[in-house]
Amino acid sequence: MLVGILYVFSLSMFDLEVIYNDFGKQYFLANGLNETGSMNLVTGIYLDYRLFDSLFEAGILLIAVSGVMWISQHNIQEKNATFMIDKQKTPELFVTFSRLLYPLMLMFGFYVIINGHTSPGGGFQGGAIVATAILILYYIDISKTIDVGLILTIEKILFMLLIIIGGISYFTTDGHIFTNFINDPSSKEIYLITLNVLIGIKVALGLTAIFTAFLKEGR
Amino acid sequence: MSSFFSTENIAFALQVLMIIVSLFIVFHKKNFTIIILISVFSLLAATLYTMNQAPDVAIAEVAIGAAIIPLIYVISISRQREYIVLDKSRHGFIDPDEVLEGVVYDILNEFVQTYDLNLNVCCDIEGSEEDLTKELNVDLIIDYDLENDHYTLKGKASSTLMSKLKRLTANHPSITVVTFKDGDSID
Repeated sequence: MLVGILYVFSLSMFDLEVIYNDFGKQYFLANGLNETGSMNLVTGIYLDYRLFDSLFEAGILLIAVSGVMWISQHNIQEKNATFMIDKQKTPELFVTFSRLLYPLMLMFGFYVIINGHTSPGGGFQGGAIVATAILILYYIDISKTIDVGLILTIEKILFMLLIIIGGISYFTTDGHIFTNFINDPSSKEIYLITLNVLIGIKVALGLTAIFTAFLKEGR
Repeated sequence: MSSFFSTENIAFALQVLMIIVSLFIVFHKKNFTIIILISVFSLLAATLYTMNQAPDVAIAEVAIGAAIIPLIYVISISRQREYIVLDKSRHGFIDPDEVLEGVVYDILNEFVQTYDLNLNVCCDIEGSEEDLTKELNVDLIIDYDLENDHYTLKGKASSTLMSKLKRLTANHPSITVVTFKDGDSID
């Protein structure tokens, strides 16, 4: 099978000029800012031209989080359980540095989310940074617990909201679904910021939920 | 001299470094060193992404590859090194709020230090033994018989640590080690 794949690949090597052309690049460079209102063409592509793909990416994360929750669930009462290792203290150096880093990381994460359409970054990247900032909380206070079920519910609502906002464009533009619903090019940024913030919060909650499930495993 | 530090040379050096780091990741023995090397690998990859004018991908790579994945690995590995003991008797044995002492505790402490694990003692969890070992990953359950002053240690038969514990406690008359098959109760 490997030989077969190599053979097909070597056949297609001669047609690389046909496959790897730069028509798309030229088109995005010429019309991207005008059509999507995004300085960052990557954001323009994943929130406007290819929003359909992005919705499924967001869905994959949701399904992954649900799967982790489902595997790690159990129905044993452990309310009064006390564990020896929970009483061990985190080193003071860690705690102090975490307290220093936590607000800075949160701020940088939201900066990356909100400026996703003008500078590098976007919902997914910023959401990952915000999730890392939330994970630092565990170094400050390990006994802090997060209700994982609530997080999953919020994430589902956010995903529905994403689909609804993507679907509005069916009524405002002439029949194009999953694209920008604002027709005025100067105010298209509002749509991009809204979707980036939604995706950012969703990714941050999802990664936090996965991490919490790992932390609670065996507890 | 300026041509020596050109962008192409730096990119080439980073690529060679990436190959070296990935070889170290595969062949290194210590788990926590491997985690640090994985995040180093992600940082090198992010630098290369930036040099190839893909800052969006670089930010995602740094956030996911250098922060979240090592954190998850650290949590999983430290969970793997925990030896969770459930104390059902709470008599003459361990109370999490007090100083740990007693015959069983001395044996367990020695046992845990031999195999480089962390002892984690808990109590007050309700549920059948089958459920506890299956769903909560409890490694060992301790029962105490008040009349005969006798300890019973129960654990999964599939765990190799149980047979080692059996060998260790062979010459203690007041301790017996009982193993039961996964999913089957000893009763």
